[in-house]
Amino acid sequence: MRTAKNVRGIDRFVLLTLFAAGLISLALLADWWFRPEHISVLWFFIIFSTVFWYGGIRIVLIWINYLMIKKPESVPAPPGLRVAIFTTCTHGEPLDMFEKTLAACRQVTYPHATYLLSDREEPEVKELAERHGAIYIDVRNTTGAKAGKINKALGMTDEDYILILDPDHIPFPSFLDQTLGYFQDPAVGFVQVSQAYYNQYRSFTAKGAAEQTYTFYGPTQMGLFGTGSSVAIGANCTFRRTALESIGGHGVGLAEDLLTSLRLHAAGWKSVYNPVIVSRGLVPEDFGSFCKQQLKWSRGVFEITFTELPRLFRKLSGWQKLSYSAIGSYYFVGATSFFFTIIPFLYFAAGIMPASMSFVEFLINGTFIGLISLAIYLYVQKWLAHPETERGFHWRGMVLKYASWPVYFLGFLLAVVNVDIPYIPTSKKASIGKMTPFARPLILYVIVFLLTFSIVFFRRRYHVPEDVLVLTAERTWGMFGFAALALIMSLLGLYAAWENKKMKAEDPWNHVDLEKLKSK
Amino acid sequence: MSKRSNRLLITMLAIVASVLLVLVLSMAGDKSRGPIANILRKAGNFVTGIEDRFILDKRAGTRKEQLAWLQAYQADINLLKNPSPILLGAYDNKTGESYASILDLEDTLGTVFPLIHIYTAWGDKSHQQFPRAQARAIQELGSIPVITWEPWLSEFNQEDYPGLPGIEERDKGGLALIAGGMFDEYIRRWARDAKELRKPVFVRLGHEMNDPYRYPWGPHNNQPQDFVKAWQHVNVLFKAEGADNVLWIWSPHPSYGMFNELYPGDFFVDYIGINIMNFGDVATWSKWWSFKEIIGNAYEPLSYFNKPIMISELGCLSVGGDRAEWYRETMSNMVTDYPLVKSILFFHFSEDRTTTPQAVDWTIMWDKPVVEAIKEEIQKWPENVRTPAIKP
Repeated sequence: MRTAKNVRGIDRFVLLTLFAAGLISLALLADWWFRPEHISVLWFFIIFSTVFWYGGIRIVLIWINYLMIKKPESVPAPPGLRVAIFTTCTHGEPLDMFEKTLAACRQVTYPHATYLLSDREEPEVKELAERHGAIYIDVRNTTGAKAGKINKALGMTDEDYILILDPDHIPFPSFLDQTLGYFQDPAVGFVQVSQAYYNQYRSFTAKGAAEQTYTFYGPTQMGLFGTGSSVAIGANCTFRRTALESIGGHGVGLAEDLLTSLRLHAAGWKSVYNPVIVSRGLVPEDFGSFCKQQLKWSRGVFEITFTELPRLFRKLSGWQKLSYSAIGSYYFVGATSFFFTIIPFLYFAAGIMPASMSFVEFLINGTFIGLISLAIYLYVQKWLAHPETERGFHWRGMVLKYASWPVYFLGFLLAVVNVDIPYIPTSKKASIGKMTPFARPLILYVIVFLLTFSIVFFRRRYHVPEDVLVLTAERTWGMFGFAALALIMSLLGLYAAWENKKMKAEDPWNHVDLEKLKSK
Repeated sequence: MSKRSNRLLITMLAIVASVLLVLVLSMAGDKSRGPIANILRKAGNFVTGIEDRFILDKRAGTRKEQLAWLQAYQADINLLKNPSPILLGAYDNKTGESYASILDLEDTLGTVFPLIHIYTAWGDKSHQQFPRAQARAIQELGSIPVITWEPWLSEFNQEDYPGLPGIEERDKGGLALIAGGMFDEYIRRWARDAKELRKPVFVRLGHEMNDPYRYPWGPHNNQPQDFVKAWQHVNVLFKAEGADNVLWIWSPHPSYGMFNELYPGDFFVDYIGINIMNFGDVATWSKWWSFKEIIGNAYEPLSYFNKPIMISELGCLSVGGDRAEWYRETMSNMVTDYPLVKSILFFHFSEDRTTTPQAVDWTIMWDKPVVEAIKEEIQKWPENVRTPAIKP
């Protein structure tokens, strides 16, 4: 069984030590940062400080969250519960993927009924379901995408506990044994488990996208559980029927899982996060699908932040208020990345500096925090659900996070002006052969960088007087050093997009051996 | 042990451990500069080294070449202690990211300044450390930097200097604090950075130390012997750090005397600096004075020290008299009446608010008669005191 380690006293001690050291360094940085002599243009300094300290506060929140890490004590599933597994099927999803998923559902040992909720016309889908002992539910003409199907099926079934399984996720036989026990506590509304994948070997994008989730489905959710705010995000959440019914069914929206857990928490239901890997699914393999998925999520999460969160805010506990605010503003990273990205070019084009700070001083004051936050990041990796494969710096994940800043930024802007994006199902198979339009902002960045670099270098080589050359050296090369980080990230992002062009089409689920799953 | 006390214990231990962690990391570097600063300094030197090699060294027709004659002085600091020509130079307040304003001035005057003058204060902040970039920029222009180094002790952070009195109290007897070693780390760091320039640099420390009204390091706060001790202490620290490329300018105010009490000694002084500023009748306390009237009786006693003299600030406002005539007389008499003067630095400050409530303008660049007067008089100087770069 792959599950996160237990939390020992020494772990709390180490984390608390690093946390205190981090807070001291942050305070020292703040003391240095907010000096009147650092203000050159006031409004620019205000924006710069806001954007920077937005990041600083987030880091502190993450650290606090890690201090609260908790693992639930295992509770065996009592016999005789009535359980359903819902999985949905819509147009364009490959049918042989369902062969695997449904066969795996049948292998889940706790007695249950599997339902396939489909809005497809083809008779083969129904045949397929019945061949694997699943009950076919026709959900044509429902609105509200996946959640709409679930709500319709809720009305047609009567099991007390419902596992909502993403169609690309292959459950292990022990799945329900890891979740049902927690419902012994009548206040528990849903139980979320870790999420893992079986196709990350396929590409840079797949590895990076998987890396982005490792920490979240390990220490982050464990910390959220410690504060009573672990959320249903992604796939494979097991719900209590009465809980779902108390909030009028599964939430409908672009980030419907988060919406549902927010409503359940607001209605007073408790949640459990069990950091165990009991299913493996697909992670986006190509950069285009990844960006589409991220656009959908960022737009959806902001929608919740703007509409649902303020409405339900009073009903949440203090920790939940904090957690949902932090999650709800996560994708603001697009706007901040945009701001950081343009800083060097504002300087080279117009001579504007966001603050009259010395680069060297900033790095001196900031490096310590960087080191501490790296130390904390690496330390909490002991609570990854599968540390042997998931440990590391997750640099591919960071590359993807930076390279999709235009997407997050777009999601933010769309939410601010309240414009919809169409519902885009996350691609289950790589779209191969051409460069995705999501790569265009990265190409543009590389061009702007190279042009700026050439102009600046040419001017310095032939025109800039000697004294100016010396006096502006630190600033100029500091700015280029900063811009070069974004350049490297953009180039790696482009590599990810380019790599998809030459990928061979493949159905990764064909490699999954259900017999081996049984032994896990 | 109960659960709560257990938690409290863990918390206390964690706080102690984190403080230790911070202390260990902050002591990892050399005493005065942290480890990160050291790495960054090296990275910075590496980058500027590349620019030196691939851009600066490849340039032709630069100002440096026009100042080729100064190379001999740059190479031998003893030559600089008694130069044959009068070394001209200037300070200009508009020199943030470029010395263009000074280059414009010298162009207007038909010369190339061998010296460029800048000001910097003591303190903890980055712009109060040795002005590396400015000094290097001046060197890249081919000139020698002159740095007026003002010991404003109020700029030091009390927590970092055990025993340092509060900002209000520390100026009283401030020079004794310097002499007593309170700021040794700061001074040593400054010295090391100065040494890194490799070529000569003039340093004018604590100027007008005999003026009882102006600066905190004046006689109203300090005993004369403390000035001498502080000066010698700084000097010894520089020598200990191997900063032998520094030429020390001792710069008393011409009107307030006390020269003998305040003179740090032949071994510790290379030049004597005198500020000659004619405020005209801009303020109630001022009137139009000639160069001769301002230097007054000071030249004679100062000449007994037998050190070359630098007119470290030369300026004349335009209210209350004939400015062009003032400069004509000044430049003309300089070589005949004041043979010890080996350097003149124009004070080119366009918005000076340091002594008067309203801003006064010392610039001469756009005052055509003044420019003509200075140009003509410099041309008349004998060959041996004229710098080779003076254009006809």
